[in-house]
Amino acid sequence: MIEAHSLSKKYGPKTAVDDVTFTVRPGLVTGFLGPNGAGKSTTMRMIVGLDRPSGGSVTVNGKVYRDHAAPLHEVGVLLDAKAIHQGRSAYSHLLALGATHGIGASRVHEVIEMTGLDTVAKKRVGGFSLGMGQRLGIAAAMLGDPSTLILDEPVNGLDPEGVMWVRELVRFLASEGRTVLLSSHLMSEMAQTADHIIVIGKGRIIADAPVVDIVSSATTASVRAVSPRAAEMARLLNSPDVTITSIDGETLEIVGLTSAAVGEVAATNGIVLHELTPLRGSLEDAYMNLTADAVEYRTGVFDPANALQPAAHADPAKVDAPHEHTHAASHAAPTHAAPSGPEALR
Amino acid sequence: MSTATARRSTTLPASPIRLTAGGIIRSEWIKLRSLRSTIWAYAVILVLQIAIGLLVISFTVNNLDSSRGQAILQSPELATAGATAGVVFAQLVVSVLGVLVISGEYSTGQIRSSFAAVPKRLPVLWAKLAVFGVVTFVVSLVGILLAYAVTYPILANAGHSSNLSDSAVFLPIIGAAGYLALIGMLALGLGAILRSTAGGIAASLGLLLVVPVIFTLIPVDWAHSISDWLPGSVGPAIYQMSTTFEWWQALLIMIGWIAVVFAAAATLIRRRDA
Repeated sequence: MIEAHSLSKKYGPKTAVDDVTFTVRPGLVTGFLGPNGAGKSTTMRMIVGLDRPSGGSVTVNGKVYRDHAAPLHEVGVLLDAKAIHQGRSAYSHLLALGATHGIGASRVHEVIEMTGLDTVAKKRVGGFSLGMGQRLGIAAAMLGDPSTLILDEPVNGLDPEGVMWVRELVRFLASEGRTVLLSSHLMSEMAQTADHIIVIGKGRIIADAPVVDIVSSATTASVRAVSPRAAEMARLLNSPDVTITSIDGETLEIVGLTSAAVGEVAATNGIVLHELTPLRGSLEDAYMNLTADAVEYRTGVFDPANALQPAAHADPAKVDAPHEHTHAASHAAPTHAAPSGPEALR
Repeated sequence: MSTATARRSTTLPASPIRLTAGGIIRSEWIKLRSLRSTIWAYAVILVLQIAIGLLVISFTVNNLDSSRGQAILQSPELATAGATAGVVFAQLVVSVLGVLVISGEYSTGQIRSSFAAVPKRLPVLWAKLAVFGVVTFVVSLVGILLAYAVTYPILANAGHSSNLSDSAVFLPIIGAAGYLALIGMLALGLGAILRSTAGGIAASLGLLLVVPVIFTLIPVDWAHSISDWLPGSVGPAIYQMSTTFEWWQALLIMIGWIAVVFAAAATLIRRRDA
């Protein structure tokens, strides 16, 4: 159980974490989600006392972290895969870390085996890949058999097998009744791993809810229709519950109607449709919507999705895969399945 | 790698694990001995002590024709002077290692792992100080005793005899080893304040090599008296190769230096974000 009350952190004039209050409960995987620079890592460092809060407080299992008699048994933390001396072997690192709490070599061997580091345990950490570094960081976090785990971007740098492994591990740890807080800037990762999500942006909590609620509340379904008589279509579809956005002279984005309904209106009125595509907001869209105002470092207008469009015409299936577009209701040909490109133009 | 099925069964002791001072000291001992830089530095210290001792004594014995040479041969300090001749060089290696013991943790990020395990932080600093001080003292003492041993036959051949049980012999030898340990601890404190390897080494070697030169360049008396109180100047008094202070006075001055540096280091470590 982690409880933060009005937690703040200022670095000089810059506020990294701004009056944040939340609770992370045992038995669940709680995702800490936010863009880079949102304050996730800073908050996690404050939980284990590495950064001193500028205001507010945070406790673990009812006590400030530094007041626990066996800190490693309370919280296992992976803050940074590279928070390890490069000149030491993985085994020596874990042995030294455990020694502070009287944790011996047998437990060190156990966590090494658990994280699949057996073959490299005696090698110096400097030669480790990012993925091996992450596994060692997770081994270190598990060392004290902690009731709470804090993992900052644990899947960063892991191969797909490693990602699966972390996902299963944290789910297993939560099922044992432990408190698990893990951060990511990837919504899709969170949706597959977390039970509960705390979204943070620019140091403030934007959302704090079960993962299903976050996804459904932040995604909106829309329909894209392309027609030479777009203006006429827009007039026919217009109603108080429907929002129509005109992307260009021929393209409409319609929120509030199904593609079937749009297709029927077109057919009834004899309007030719060149395209009719239902766009279901993906998790990434939900995340973008949530954090749109809270992105610390915004990139320029270039959107790789637009750059991909010609390829999308040639082979829609390929580009389609990562997005949840459905074609069943498409009446008009040809189906155009470019990833949410026009959204960047809104 | 199929996830951890029966993993809840851990081999952790039945009694609850807890953070202890002894555990933190053991942890620092494991950290110190598990780095190659430590092994190298201590090996260099041993070799330096023996090689420079041999060099100095051989040179002295081979240049005894003059009456001055005979006087040197009669001087009771000859054996200890030879055994401790390497200290001047070994202190540079010890300083670098002392800085690395802490700056290596900051430069690699290891300090975050260390402070997450010991969130009160200062016990880590004290454990480092104790472990590094003791190990450096022991290694230095071994080096100086080896230098004494290898130069003993050369001196005996030339007609100079000394006895290790004589306090005039063993006190300077212990003092020299103690000085090396203290100068290393001072460097560790500077490393803790500066958190950077380059900065720490520059500060500690600067204090040993550059600052005394600056003071001797100032042509006023007080500059010279201050210069006498610098760590590198009081050192030889600890092992009785200088007469500016009694050995115990010199020891107190060194401890004073360390106390000041560690007071600053401890304050900073408590306040700073890791």
